[in-house]
Amino acid sequence: MAAPNAGTEGVGMPDPIHQFEIHHILPIKLFGWDVSFTNSALFMVVSIVLITGFLSLAMRSRSLVPTRLQSLAEISYQFVEQMMRETMGHSGRQYFPFIFTIFMFVLVANMLGLIPGFFTVTSHIVVTAALAALVFITVLVIGFSKNGLRFFKLFVPEGVPFLLLLLIVPIEIISFLSRPVSHSVRLFANMLAGHVTLKVFGGFVVMLLGAGAYSVLAPLPLLMTIAMTALECLVAFLQAYVFAVLTCMYLNDALHPGH
Amino acid sequence: MPDEADGRGPGGRQLSPEEQAAFQGRVSDLGDRLGRIKAQREADAHADLDSEMRGRGMAYGMRMAAELVAAVIVGGAIGIGLDKWLGTWPWLFLVLFVLGFAAGVLNVVRSYEQMQKEFTARTGGRIGHSVPDDED
Repeated sequence: MAAPNAGTEGVGMPDPIHQFEIHHILPIKLFGWDVSFTNSALFMVVSIVLITGFLSLAMRSRSLVPTRLQSLAEISYQFVEQMMRETMGHSGRQYFPFIFTIFMFVLVANMLGLIPGFFTVTSHIVVTAALAALVFITVLVIGFSKNGLRFFKLFVPEGVPFLLLLLIVPIEIISFLSRPVSHSVRLFANMLAGHVTLKVFGGFVVMLLGAGAYSVLAPLPLLMTIAMTALECLVAFLQAYVFAVLTCMYLNDALHPGH
Repeated sequence: MPDEADGRGPGGRQLSPEEQAAFQGRVSDLGDRLGRIKAQREADAHADLDSEMRGRGMAYGMRMAAELVAAVIVGGAIGIGLDKWLGTWPWLFLVLFVLGFAAGVLNVVRSYEQMQKEFTARTGGRIGHSVPDDED
């Protein structure tokens, strides 16, 4: 985010990468592993606390005519429910808690990152890769436990001549293995790129203000920053949505491997 | 209002022709204004949907790129790994790199299918502004 902390090189361009630095808040060593509590961990905890707090506070009264907060919670429930119905049908309903947790976590983490000075958890590929790996392993476990060896039908399309299968099966396997990569890279790259762009435009404002007569131009990048922030809000939501939709689609493949 | 038909105002008084003309004028003016507002509303709703779909289009565009590149990288990486293991550098890498590209195209086609389904469900198949054809 375009935080007011100027970079290390003094008056020049504020360092756009500075916002992604991880620093220890509470150094912890466990069996020689560095498991320190970092700013990244802090914002993950903040996200979880915000989601849990919001949902339990909103649903406390459970009134038939919802309050504003309760209807917000119900909207988020319905949104995920509808998304699951569209991508998985009714067979996937039991996985609602999993999808809802992933969607809300990514959404809140993305949105928190837009507040100036806050850390964006999802702008680190470790975090998104861990989420994608979680989804990937869940798909494997569910796929094999529900379908057994029939899960391999995912790689063998029906009605294809045997000779072509020699070519198609490896392609399908690579396609399957590439899922966690694209799943994680997309979210991470979007958040990283958006925040770097915001910081760069924010830096232009500061640089122009210090450039004598040219400082009359300073509002131009400021306007751009405002427009970019609006776009980033949209991106933050859309990426959470896309992440959740893809999770649904992968889970659907695990439930019905024969397409 | 049955009164209007025989040219009677409220209270049964006969309306003069000028009054009737003014009344007709007001009615058609009101009709015009309503029509304009309705058209404006429809255009606004369409523009909202359009801009939302543009935002989604951008997200999906990024997704396509990620799908393609990811499969190529995974294919290449498997190839390099197998080559190191079996000592066949660079043959398996070359084969799997190309297969990875094929898998990437497959990924793109699949996500396009899914995206098309979603777009049609939301917009009824109309995306963007329709431009009159030369033939029409």
